[in-house]
Amino acid sequence: MDCVEIVTPSRASLRIANHHSTAASPLLQQPRIRASTPTRSPQALPKYGRRGVSPSKKARLALDDATQLESNETPQDGTEPVFGGTTHLRSSVSSRRKGKATWRPLASDEALPRILPSELEPCLELQKRAILKSLQNLPDIDENDEHVSANATAYGQLNDLLKGTVLRGEGNSCLLIGPRGSGKTRLVEKAIASLPERPIVIHLSGHAQHNDRLAIREIAWQLAQQTGHSFLPSEGDNAVEETPPDPENPFLDEPEPNIVLPPPAHLLALISVIPTLPRPTIIALDAFDLFAAHPRQSLLYCLLDTVQSCRVGTGTKGIAVIGITTRVDTINLLEKRVKSRFSGRMLRTACPGRLHHWTELARAALSASISQDVPEEWPPLWKAAVDSFLHDATVMENFKETFSLTRDVQTLRRILTTVATNLTAASPYPSAVKLAASTGIQRCPPRFSFLASLPYPAICLCIAAVHYQTAGHDAFTFEMLHESFRDQVRTSQSAPIQIEGGGIGMAFERLIALRVFTPVAASSSSTTREFVLYRLVLDRNEVKRAVGVMGQTNLKKWFSKA
Amino acid sequence: MDSTTTDMTPVGYEACTSLLTTLLTSYPPPFMFVYDPETPRLTSSVVRTLVQDLKTRSKTAGSPLKFASAVVNAVACFTRRLFYDTVLNALAEWRPSWEDGCGNWSGSGSMSGQRFNENFDAFVHGLQAIRTLLEHGSDDLTTKTSAKGKGKAKATSNNENETHRLIIVIERAERLKDSLPDLLVPLTRLAELSQLDVITIFVSDVRWADMRPSLGASPDPYYIDIPALSKQNTIEIMTTAFDTMASCSSSSKLVDAEAYSPVLRSLYDQFITTLYSICSPFVHDVYELMYIAAARWPGFILPVLEAHRAYIEELDRLRADGRSHEFDSDHRATEVSAHSDDEMRDHDIAGILYLPTEDTRIRLVRLFTPSFTSALEGLYPRLTHAADWAREHIPPANLLTLPYTQIPAHMSGALGAQTTGGAHRRDIHAFPRTSQFILVAAFLASTNSPKSDMRMFGRGTDERAKRRRRKGGSPRKAREGTGGGGIKIPQRLLGPTPFPVDRLLAILGVLLEEYDAETRPQVPQFAIPGEYTDMEIARVSIHAAIMELASMRLLIRVSSADRVDATPTFKCGISYDIALQLAREIGIVLNDLLWDSV
Repeated sequence: MDCVEIVTPSRASLRIANHHSTAASPLLQQPRIRASTPTRSPQALPKYGRRGVSPSKKARLALDDATQLESNETPQDGTEPVFGGTTHLRSSVSSRRKGKATWRPLASDEALPRILPSELEPCLELQKRAILKSLQNLPDIDENDEHVSANATAYGQLNDLLKGTVLRGEGNSCLLIGPRGSGKTRLVEKAIASLPERPIVIHLSGHAQHNDRLAIREIAWQLAQQTGHSFLPSEGDNAVEETPPDPENPFLDEPEPNIVLPPPAHLLALISVIPTLPRPTIIALDAFDLFAAHPRQSLLYCLLDTVQSCRVGTGTKGIAVIGITTRVDTINLLEKRVKSRFSGRMLRTACPGRLHHWTELARAALSASISQDVPEEWPPLWKAAVDSFLHDATVMENFKETFSLTRDVQTLRRILTTVATNLTAASPYPSAVKLAASTGIQRCPPRFSFLASLPYPAICLCIAAVHYQTAGHDAFTFEMLHESFRDQVRTSQSAPIQIEGGGIGMAFERLIALRVFTPVAASSSSTTREFVLYRLVLDRNEVKRAVGVMGQTNLKKWFSKA
Repeated sequence: MDSTTTDMTPVGYEACTSLLTTLLTSYPPPFMFVYDPETPRLTSSVVRTLVQDLKTRSKTAGSPLKFASAVVNAVACFTRRLFYDTVLNALAEWRPSWEDGCGNWSGSGSMSGQRFNENFDAFVHGLQAIRTLLEHGSDDLTTKTSAKGKGKAKATSNNENETHRLIIVIERAERLKDSLPDLLVPLTRLAELSQLDVITIFVSDVRWADMRPSLGASPDPYYIDIPALSKQNTIEIMTTAFDTMASCSSSSKLVDAEAYSPVLRSLYDQFITTLYSICSPFVHDVYELMYIAAARWPGFILPVLEAHRAYIEELDRLRADGRSHEFDSDHRATEVSAHSDDEMRDHDIAGILYLPTEDTRIRLVRLFTPSFTSALEGLYPRLTHAADWAREHIPPANLLTLPYTQIPAHMSGALGAQTTGGAHRRDIHAFPRTSQFILVAAFLASTNSPKSDMRMFGRGTDERAKRRRRKGGSPRKAREGTGGGGIKIPQRLLGPTPFPVDRLLAILGVLLEEYDAETRPQVPQFAIPGEYTDMEIARVSIHAAIMELASMRLLIRVSSADRVDATPTFKCGISYDIALQLAREIGIVLNDLLWDSV
């Protein structure tokens, strides 16, 4: 009671001070800081009161407190409200140190106003768009290293090859192998675009064309699109098309009767037509390894056979087959007769090999130039912001972490997209905090972020499942969990919350839908739902953490019994 | 309920909508994944609204970026053809009409008459056709669809600088993994395969990691995580529903016309806060909470409206008598919802509905609080639906004037638990006695291990010897039990085990002999003990009863039905609780017959 009486006048006086001081006095900070450090103030205030310190002195003491904490707050100002939770989790002392160390260069930089002047806000929007645009189509980094990069080499070779086909009418085949996100498709696009003469380009993908029949139809379609007359086989296929679908069940797909391949002669007929077309043809096969899985590899055989038999000087146009794949051993998947017709050329692409390239890529994307006219103070301002962002030690640490996990440029692209979209007028510059937040979402998103907010019955089921896990039973049924839940309610002194049938069953189904519980075996009709065996996907520690965050004592007690 | 979210973004979704708008109007990643584990329905309605909004805005304003969108649900589009047709129809804004044979969109101009639902390639060709359609004005479209008529005139003029972006939103995308597995990879690479500006957005409550195809066939999406709704936001969304409910409640017979009168808004807020505090530990989904609220509110407000109406009637009667002034002064004291404000007095005299006093409101909340729990129990698992539930739980007349002791039992929520199991139990009791015996025998056969049968049911003279011999073999079994890891789990929790029908009949024989033999009429020709029972279990009616129970899925047939030579095997389909009740009915102590009793 004492402390309440002493505290109130001081609060009141502070509030008055707040009202009256118009200048930016540090006193303004005080209520906020009080609020942010609730553990300190109740102890501190009565002490002053007992000693009889006057309100003004008290305010000065608090002022010291405020300046001390000011530095702590500074780096977090840039935090987005959405992602705010991540940084506050650190212990206060270490984050204060870190904050000072990392923020100093920026704060000392005169060129960066904390809050964007209102006339520059449209520039920020334009800059955002420019960044997003450059992320869409990442700029090439000229790596002025001692050796030429793999992609440049591959580009040179591919370009030569295609030129041979287009200009001299050669038949060429090659494989383009490289990890995901290393720019294989881009390379092909670029090479085709740089050709002096416009060839017929046919794109096929192993993901879309599941069998040779679909592939051949697609080739025919694309040929027709680009040459202007139809190559679609007319007689047999049209008859199939005209038959109406099964009138009994309109939802029933035709169970792919079309898998039956057209006769090999027919297949050859269309493909052998290709060299006789008026323009040279380039066939790009994406996911080449999947084509190798087609029965008898007839399509590949025909294509490569045509390529091989394409001779210069016989009046035919050239044909090039480019296989694009991530699989390194693709050549081994080919049958002997197919392999012998393949030229054996394999070009390799690679992701950026050094962290340096990675950050240069980030710099190029972030400092994309705006096409429209902007006030002249904007570009240097933005350049300074990007520089200080990329010189930040935590930023570099973050990039390094990501780079050691994956070199896929797509990941970098996604991370930077989130950073760019989170730029607002209130916090206009990219920062380490923003980067960390977006990395958390885009790099490897947490699988069960919702655990701490699970409804009560659901977390009970998880705890019961953990209990069974520690008892040596990984698989459990609903009845088992329900039984142990009921036991817990019966035995614990403070029965948590009374619950009857429905809720817990719904919670169980919800957890299955959220993939927290996965079925052990395939479902069978002879097992009733409550006896289907499930397994807990969660780690014991994850449940423990969730229970800790929820902070219900009886749940914690129950969990610790495991 | 979707109408609540169509006119504006619900609170808590601002960050998500601004992010999506920024991306979609500038340079979006071709494949995005919106993840919301808590309220996926609300999220998908937000995304749907947003996409729709973008489309209409781009049409009216002269922006160079035009959108065409399709929002499909992976639950509804469970085959490829359905999926292709739904997407293409939506993108082309084509509505199949009954008059012209409900045809799907099949291209326009020179390309018309094609089928774009054959396979994925055809679908891609359809997308390309739509793009060309959008680019070259849409004259054909206007003539064909009667629904669209505006905004086409200028479309022909300024299509040089326009870019057209197609957006395909797929809700409940986790279903694709099971229903259309071979469509998943091409959909995620749609922009690359079709060489168009097409954005695929998946909305799901399951992480992409759980539905990702193998071998890295799909590129990873751009993740958008929706944070969970906070308490204030949930309550706000629920209370804003009041206004939309007011507009649509007039058509419903169940809901009183005045139940959503604007004066009652603050009482509704109070109601929602209480409802939330009671139900939120169990359900977080806003839609579920709103469903419960919609079922309870008409009953909750009924006493207030009744009191008000009674008062008005009284007023009218007295006015007719010409004594309204005296009534007004002395009746006020007895009125339950007594109030003192002058304003209220005015309303009172005029007969306008007013907000009840604080005391009445607290009383109402206290009276109805138990029924919130029973509403949750009944409505969340959908044991009954809202209208039925509301009809069953109409509060008694003059609830506010009743003394506390006379408040009927169902208001205290005790009824809820009984009604759920009640129907089932009645059915069970309606069975013939033989079927009841068969079910108990089946439960025992499914729960006890066959090895224990001799000890549980063996009634011969050599029982002792058998038991001793069994003991000799038991150490091995005991070691298995301990070595197998941890505690032994009772069979009734692990689920029923299958048993041959012979075993069922044998156990049935024991049960009939011990618990039924005395009730049978004396038949002199069966002299040997057990002979009568043997005859009983050999009757055709027993087999017929077994087959009947199997057809009701109370016994589950494990062996295939078309095999004649093998002994049929069954599993028990009833739970322990029901078995216990049945056993009590026919005078059996079930726990004595269970190998590992509870």
